[in-house]
Amino acid sequence: MDLRRAHRTLLRLYPSDYTALFALEMQNAFDQAAEERRLQSSPVFVRFLLGEFIGLLIGAGAEWIAKFTTDSSVRGRCLPDLRMMRPPGVPRELWFAATCRNAGQVSLPDEVLEAQDRISTLIRRMVHAIANHDFPGARRYSNEERQARNELRRLQEKYNIDDNGCS
Amino acid sequence: MRNNNPAGKPLTEPVLLILMSLADKPRHGYSLMKDIESLSNGRVQLSTGTLYGALRRLLEDLWIARFEQDDTSREKQAYKLTPAGRRQLQAELERMRQLTRAATARLRTREA
Repeated sequence: MDLRRAHRTLLRLYPSDYTALFALEMQNAFDQAAEERRLQSSPVFVRFLLGEFIGLLIGAGAEWIAKFTTDSSVRGRCLPDLRMMRPPGVPRELWFAATCRNAGQVSLPDEVLEAQDRISTLIRRMVHAIANHDFPGARRYSNEERQARNELRRLQEKYNIDDNGCS
Repeated sequence: MRNNNPAGKPLTEPVLLILMSLADKPRHGYSLMKDIESLSNGRVQLSTGTLYGALRRLLEDLWIARFEQDDTSREKQAYKLTPAGRRQLQAELERMRQLTRAATARLRTREA
């Protein structure tokens, strides 16, 4: 089995916020360390691999425990809250219009609200898929999100609403 | 802000080595692994799971900070010691110095 893939698979055991921040760095560090150890003797390389994989298993368990026992404000000092982030590709106006709507400041037709919710959900799923290296899934969500955005545009024209959520 | 080490508990070895490694200059993940191995004369070889678990806790405690390096190397994210982290490292070194002094004094008493 490809070692890189095995390492990436074990990284999926970690909480998603942790993976979003550290997975790429951990993968890079593993690749560089593996390259170096491979040049040394075989026992050194095998010991390195065992240490890595056992370390990842223990680390994943420890991170899940930390996730459930650490206050979210403390955890938020280093890890992103994926629910609060404006996902890449979402216009700032759309994101803040949704925030205003949630605060009860803007009243939009139900159809438009549903379309906005659908886009937000699809984008969250896409970000989650990318964070977990599920690229076919991410592509599928991206296509669905494009269709949902076209639908939203059609509804905005129908109700004469701009991107800021104003009539 | 919470007191991150209220009882002044001894730091774990990986944490101490990470703080020591970052004391002179900022480093990225792989560079930390290499430097820690060299600092401990090859005795401590941190796995990525252990290293990044410790880095996450240190970031939460605000003892280190994460920043993006300007260079175009493979590793862009690097870590540096914060003033709070430096204070913790100094406190730990002082604790170790005190222990060493006490142990040396006891040994001398026994030899005399």
